[in-house]
Amino acid sequence: MSSNPKIIIRMGSHAEKDYILKLSNQLDGIIIGANVVEATAGATASLVGKKLQLPYYIDPVTYVFGCPLDGIKSEQKRNKKTVIDYKRAYRRLAPELGDIFSNALANNIPVVPGNFTGSILKNVCQKVVEYQLKRLHAEFEKDEEYKEYARSIPSPAGVFSPYFFISSDEWLELFLRLSKTTADINPSVPVYSVLCADYESLAEKSFTDKIANELPETGVAGVWLWFSRFDEWAVQEKYLSAFKVLVQQLSEKGLEVYNRHGGYFSLALNKFGMNGISHSVGYGEKKDVLQIKGPPNAPMVRYYLPDIYKRISTLNIERCFDDLNIVTPQDFHDKICSCVICKGVVKDDRLEFQQFGDMRHATSESKRMSQTPAAAKRCRFHFLMNRICERNFIGENELSTIIREISNAQEKWKDQPTVVNDCNHLARWEAALSS
Amino acid sequence: MGESTSMAANIIDLTKESALLKPVVGYIKRKGFRLQTSELPFYQRSVDIYGYSMANNKTIAIELKLHKWKKAFEQALLYQLCADEVYIAMPKKYIGRVNLDFLTKYGIGLISVSETGRCQKMIDAKQSSVLRIGYKNNHIDYLQRRINE
Repeated sequence: MSSNPKIIIRMGSHAEKDYILKLSNQLDGIIIGANVVEATAGATASLVGKKLQLPYYIDPVTYVFGCPLDGIKSEQKRNKKTVIDYKRAYRRLAPELGDIFSNALANNIPVVPGNFTGSILKNVCQKVVEYQLKRLHAEFEKDEEYKEYARSIPSPAGVFSPYFFISSDEWLELFLRLSKTTADINPSVPVYSVLCADYESLAEKSFTDKIANELPETGVAGVWLWFSRFDEWAVQEKYLSAFKVLVQQLSEKGLEVYNRHGGYFSLALNKFGMNGISHSVGYGEKKDVLQIKGPPNAPMVRYYLPDIYKRISTLNIERCFDDLNIVTPQDFHDKICSCVICKGVVKDDRLEFQQFGDMRHATSESKRMSQTPAAAKRCRFHFLMNRICERNFIGENELSTIIREISNAQEKWKDQPTVVNDCNHLARWEAALSS
Repeated sequence: MGESTSMAANIIDLTKESALLKPVVGYIKRKGFRLQTSELPFYQRSVDIYGYSMANNKTIAIELKLHKWKKAFEQALLYQLCADEVYIAMPKKYIGRVNLDFLTKYGIGLISVSETGRCQKMIDAKQSSVLRIGYKNNHIDYLQRRINE
């Protein structure tokens, strides 16, 4: 395959729109979770309809209603009391998607395959497709002032069939039925399935064979793979290889294949038929299906070391400067990164690199330190600039060149004790891509 | 090698990392590092003990570990960015597991702590060749501010 793989950025919250807007002419699309749409419907409609000229997808995130529902609850203040209830975005989303989802919340019982009896399955598919096609238009239409803009909102680049975490044969059968029924609706845009399962399923040949044989028969245009806990940097080679084979099989049968949460390894699978990957602006290259309970922690955005395709601490990199003979900013650009962000930050002194790791005390009393917003922003932009370069590099080069670069990185960093332990994935990637 | 100081005759429970703190703090204080703090924030890390000797303008960082010396080694390498000398301090009974050649190669020192609290320098740390003056000065400022508070 010679065309560039696509980078579809997942917008995890509306606060991330600045990154997307600034880089929109270099990205291939955005994907917005329906929970984000419901939390910020007006702003999302405005972004997609007016500000951003980029293909978009709305992920209906139906899977959350089939998981333990505590994952979509949070502590909320009501009448000066703290209560635990469903997050507002999911309370709004459920009725939009249909009764089966509203009932799950009302009864506090997750959706199960047995719920999809008779005409319910078709109704669910219909409603979930309609949601993706019309939700943003409806947001403008309900407001007199913005009504006229509703028509300016383009259709999404595709719609997803309803999907759930496949934890048994019953769920697998349901996945295939949901895919086929949605494809049969034949909406105005392509239909995609989301194959959502644990990464250990990749080692079950009966599972991957069934997917490879039966999914293309459903009539969907493509599939977004989401193997929960599939961590490209940590999993054994056998899982990487099985993932590659599955991508190849599905692609050869005419499906577009995307990885819902992928990094450079998934991007490199473009040479085996991967059409694109998705991730957020500085995280999300792997994701567990199960929701984390409690308030989200502000994640530390570490510096992406382009050579090893991984984020690591700035200190670990800085410790190598002398060994790698990085003395001047130019040395830094030659040996670490020459993206426009790095050239802007490291311009007079190599130690300006430290700005990527800037920390501060959250309050004057707190002992713990957290990353400054400016440092997080630098790291995110630097990562995105590199990801765009990686996409272009993969599109423009043969597999052998991609593998050689991975091999060279191992050689370059093998004697750096503060980095070498973060390079273990490179040998596995090389082996999986070479096999 | 072999330099030692007796801390106390009492037996201390060295099953917790925190038990290493007191004897090591006392030990480096006697070596002249009178300005000290524990848990000094250093980016995402936290230096277990950081000390400053005004007499010779030297700083010291010490990583305390019960037995995972490789983990301590990785952290110690990073602390060489902010301290003139870096040591790993471990219970005496686990010192045999440590690859001394490895530490020597990278200039990291090693202190053994016995159950009586006796500290013994097994390897001398070398002056860090990757020290960043900016980090060092920031840490010294931090120590001095704490005294004045």
